[in-house]
Amino acid sequence: MGTRLFNILGFAAAAMLVAGAASAQDTYKIGFNAPLNGFAAADGNSALTGAELAVEQINAAGGAGGKMLELVVMDDQADPKQAVPVATKLIESDGVVMGISGSYSGATRAAAGVYQAAGKPYISAYAVHPDITRAGEYVFRTSFVGEVQGRAGAKLVGESLGAKRVVIITLNNDFGKSLAAGFKEKAGDFGIEVVGEYEYGIKDRQFGPIVASVKADNPDAIYATGYFFTAGPLVKQLRAGGVTATVIGQEGYDSEKFIEIAGADAEGVIITTSLDRDSDAAEAKDFIAAFEKKAGFKADMVAASAHTAVKVAAAALASAGGDAAALRDAIAATTLEASTGTISFNELGEVRKDVQVQIVKDGAWRRHSIISDDDLLAPPSS
Amino acid sequence: MLYVDLFVQGLVQGAIYALIAVGLTLVYGLLRILHVAHAGLFTLGGYVGVLVTNATGSFVLALFVAMIVVGFIGMAVYRLGYQPILDRPPYVALIASIGLFIAMEEIFRLIFGPYGLSYENPPLQGIIDLGGVILREADIATMVGAVVLITGLAVLSTRTRTGIAWRATVTDPQMAESFGIDIIKVRYLNFFVGTALAAAAGVMVALLNNLVEPTMGSVPSYKALAIIVLGGLGDVRGTLIAALALGVIESYGTIYLGSLLDRDAIAFAFLIAVLMVRPQGLFGKR
Repeated sequence: MGTRLFNILGFAAAAMLVAGAASAQDTYKIGFNAPLNGFAAADGNSALTGAELAVEQINAAGGAGGKMLELVVMDDQADPKQAVPVATKLIESDGVVMGISGSYSGATRAAAGVYQAAGKPYISAYAVHPDITRAGEYVFRTSFVGEVQGRAGAKLVGESLGAKRVVIITLNNDFGKSLAAGFKEKAGDFGIEVVGEYEYGIKDRQFGPIVASVKADNPDAIYATGYFFTAGPLVKQLRAGGVTATVIGQEGYDSEKFIEIAGADAEGVIITTSLDRDSDAAEAKDFIAAFEKKAGFKADMVAASAHTAVKVAAAALASAGGDAAALRDAIAATTLEASTGTISFNELGEVRKDVQVQIVKDGAWRRHSIISDDDLLAPPSS
Repeated sequence: MLYVDLFVQGLVQGAIYALIAVGLTLVYGLLRILHVAHAGLFTLGGYVGVLVTNATGSFVLALFVAMIVVGFIGMAVYRLGYQPILDRPPYVALIASIGLFIAMEEIFRLIFGPYGLSYENPPLQGIIDLGGVILREADIATMVGAVVLITGLAVLSTRTRTGIAWRATVTDPQMAESFGIDIIKVRYLNFFVGTALAAAAGVMVALLNNLVEPTMGSVPSYKALAIIVLGGLGDVRGTLIAALALGVIESYGTIYLGSLLDRDAIAFAFLIAVLMVRPQGLFGKR
């Protein structure tokens, strides 16, 4: 009995090795970690669908340098403790040429160290923590660090909207805090007076006390950081509590679900993000249409960012092949028209691109404006 | 005015805590089990409420259906989950309960999807101005609902034969059994009533947030434990007062301590402070 079981296992292992060797010849394997379970599963699944779409599009057009792309997907549950073994397995057992993170900051930061140590390129699609790219020269990011987007928020509020009395409501994790820090850093430059500051936790959905206090602050605008699942209830409760000030959010709001949760109260909410629904660029228009067809729901920021990261990987693989050092240099030299705009990287591997400002109009995300300011949006370079 | 607003918002939150924690303290009183999976049944109540409201357009019907359906599932949890391991040490049931809770979160995600569900046309969204304190109808419905349900529970437990048998069993199961009380029936009743209250809380929370997610129960799963400890384990009256007190303290704390202490940390700081002075809980007997 025992021997038979061993035989079967041995045969299975041999079969997998053969299959692995066969596929290694004509494909590039790209590791993809994302939270497919747990509290961040919604973003993880959306990012995965965006990445899969990019792979399908690239393979349908002949692959990268003649080789097909293959996504090796692992669930990291947005948990740093999971992300390290996941990254190790992808590199050592699956033999991926590089990795892409469709996950949050904690997990991405942990995995970045593993990829850097192994000398394999790693692209963070939408995680915001500044330390991610500081893991080393093999790590890149296709989204804004929190501070950069926060600075764009200050310009939007103080200059474009002309709001002067502003309340800041901060989600007390690295995402919310880095956004708020960037916003506060530039608030003075745009004539903004912060008249109230509040914090909440990622599990909070009931904001009655904050709403009551914001009402007493009587601001012109509210800079509220969060994700759609916190911002949806927050905006709904602000409006129900009689607060009419404009709410300014960020890419965390960027989902159809935000509009579904907040309903009519979502109207007029403005966010800084990476995906322009009314873009004239062929890449973005094509992505928005193809994603909705594949996923059955509308495209969002995380999907577009993961899609962009795969496109960056494919372009670099096509020009440099699978050698890790050459691939790294190719990614660093990227200039690409992607679904999230025209992107390139600075010396730290941080993305340079415009900030898309979107507003909810008639129950859909639409273009409000574009912030294009190289000095204000300069990502950290060391 | 802000102080009054914050107090009222605290009561709304406290009413929700009360509905969840009463069921938990009843289970503890009867079986000495820390029923963590109770928070999963609270979430299920939210899902049933949203689905039935969206399908039929009737929120009242949805509230009823959620309480009854989830109440029966609570009985099933007792029969299938706890009854077979009642003769084991209490930590066995606690581990089983935690495992069941995690499994429920993942099952909700598989069945209902990771994005959560919302009411298509959320009811009770009108705004009522009570002398400067602005409340949603949903806030008021939550408080009134909690008062009605918990008063109903009080009447049931003091004015009916079933209720008296129930209280007798909680006080002394062996004595109650020797007087001919069917303690198995009492346990089923206990799980049905406690779970139905949690389901009602789930429906109301789903309405206040217009969102029900697979992980909606994660905060109540441990905060309700803090509340029943505060209330003196197994003490319904103490649990109610602890729930309201915690709601109000969190409400003020969010505004005045928010940058120092997370809302959830406030609850546990309060718990620790009380237990240092009164180890038996606010109203527990030594």
